[in-house]
Amino acid sequence: MVGILSIVNALVSGILIGGIYSLVAMGLALIWGVMNVINFAQGDYMMLGAFATYWVFALMGIDPLISIIISFLFVFALGILTQGLVIDRIVKAPFVSQVVSTFALLLVIRYGSEAAFGPYTRRVETWYTGITYNISGVILPLPEIIAFIVSVGVTLILYIFLNRTYTGVSMQAVAQNLEAAAILGINIRKMYWLAFGIGVGITAIGGTLLSTFYPIYPEMGAFFTFLAFIIVVFGGFGSIFGAYLASLIIGLSETVSALFISPTLKDVVAFLIFVIIILVKPTGMFGVESS
Amino acid sequence: MMRLKYILNEFRGVKGIITISIGIVLSILPIFFMMLDLPFPANVIFLCLLYSIMAMAWNILFGYAGQFSLGHAIFFGVGGYTTMIGMLSYKITPWIGIFLGGVVAAVVSLALGVVLFRLKSHWFALATMAVQEMFLLLFIPWTAVGGSAGLQAPIFPPDKALYFIQYTGPYIYAYIALAILAIEVLVVYLIVNSKLGYYFQAIREDEDVAMAVGINPFKYKMIAMFFSALFTGFAGGIYIIRFSFIDPFTAFDLIGIAVYILVAAIIGGVYSSIGPIIGAFIFIPITEYIRDYVVSQFPRYYGLQVFAIGMIVLIISLVAPEGIMGWLEKKGIVKRKIALPAFSNILRGDKDERHS
Repeated sequence: MVGILSIVNALVSGILIGGIYSLVAMGLALIWGVMNVINFAQGDYMMLGAFATYWVFALMGIDPLISIIISFLFVFALGILTQGLVIDRIVKAPFVSQVVSTFALLLVIRYGSEAAFGPYTRRVETWYTGITYNISGVILPLPEIIAFIVSVGVTLILYIFLNRTYTGVSMQAVAQNLEAAAILGINIRKMYWLAFGIGVGITAIGGTLLSTFYPIYPEMGAFFTFLAFIIVVFGGFGSIFGAYLASLIIGLSETVSALFISPTLKDVVAFLIFVIIILVKPTGMFGVESS
Repeated sequence: MMRLKYILNEFRGVKGIITISIGIVLSILPIFFMMLDLPFPANVIFLCLLYSIMAMAWNILFGYAGQFSLGHAIFFGVGGYTTMIGMLSYKITPWIGIFLGGVVAAVVSLALGVVLFRLKSHWFALATMAVQEMFLLLFIPWTAVGGSAGLQAPIFPPDKALYFIQYTGPYIYAYIALAILAIEVLVVYLIVNSKLGYYFQAIREDEDVAMAVGINPFKYKMIAMFFSALFTGFAGGIYIIRFSFIDPFTAFDLIGIAVYILVAAIIGGVYSSIGPIIGAFIFIPITEYIRDYVVSQFPRYYGLQVFAIGMIVLIISLVAPEGIMGWLEKKGIVKRKIALPAFSNILRGDKDERHS
């Protein structure tokens, strides 16, 4: 029988891991919502963020918590570069071209890194790696708590950026109505550049936070891209904060179904939720009605 | 019979001579390599043919009926597992097993189609990808079919070699793949030159208009899916008799099967029935060459071949999204009899609907 303590543990770890998922998913939701481009390479930008953290840590000894900014800026710049070289040309293309191009990006980034860094698994060992608190049976790993707190902070900053700054509001306008936004004098191209840069940058922060308690390897993005898709579809297309809530729910559903069904089947549950949602309600939980 | 005559008529002239000579070269090369004892090029030809089968099958669904699937590894895996289990548990000869695998894959595809054809464009693509991951995740713990360790065919006694198609080297398997590909080319030509092909293309161009003129999109999408999955399932069967091994990670591999298939089709050109074959014959030799001469000698550079494909596809998708055949047609080097009305509408040109 499943004890009450293991349920509490599952809930806690579900929420904590959901925080990390949210960063990957919000990046995808931002790009998907603003540009209407499905970025299959999202998880691989997260991997780049994790590797940036690793190298900065290994070569210069900079703590991951500080290198969040470095990793964000690095992947932001890479995102701008990608946007200029690839995405800018396919923003208006039909979805097939977009899928093929972003899949090509995925292959280039994931296997380019694999060829460059070698197919090895690396770890970042900081002073807080491996520390866990045990509060009357509830296990709280410190790196995950730090990651969760930072992810909440990043989400708040993103919220303030999107709702309280002129640029952020313009970006939302582009997402809601492209033509109207263009008529009102918003530079659409600039918004696309920013959205892609910030979208992959946030995802890279997720990679940085993950690196403190998760092995880093070039193919780590695969799993997180899938999760991001599930979360974005669950949370609702175009809704970034729907994506945040959905991450926590998917995180919970994973740990709870691992407890009650089987650890090997926990991802099947997530994929099943995904297929059912797109069949039944493709606008998701908090999505705007599509026009 | 009339139709067959019509198709034979298609192969008169220069096009016919080229097609027939390619066929002859392909059927001579494996024997040639066998006599010279060169397993590597023969293996490359085998893989080219295998991916040609799958890419052409995928293209029945996308290039003609306009449904973009990212889940064709499902049918590859199901076909492969069916052939393997038939061989191991029921001693069914793979000569029958391959066809059985294709049929089972087609049945699975129809079951999926009933549910997934409610979805359109990118939702269909995402759903097929998700279902494929579910197959992978369900086959990993399923110990009755080998679990994550997979199934390995034993070495059969030599007198059973023909029964279980177990030979060293890729030579005989290249001929089996070539035979299936020949059947497939014939089937695709029959489909394309029949009403069925025009119904598919009508659905691809505009589903609502197709419906308005009395075409049932669901029915014809299901037919396209059936043929697509059938031949992909055959490819799965050929793969497992060649390597005598299958596990969930190779069978339901997103990159190695599902993405490679669409890479072959995109490189060659999706609006041409032979485009996918050309695509497969271009990119498989490149990856196999890099894999054999670089990666196997310097394992540190694992992944380089996939990186190379990524670069090729990236360039193709930006420079010539209609693929090599489409590019040749645009330059006027290759001509088609009936001009496609919306030749560049699906791969190039503006998206007419946002958020749909």
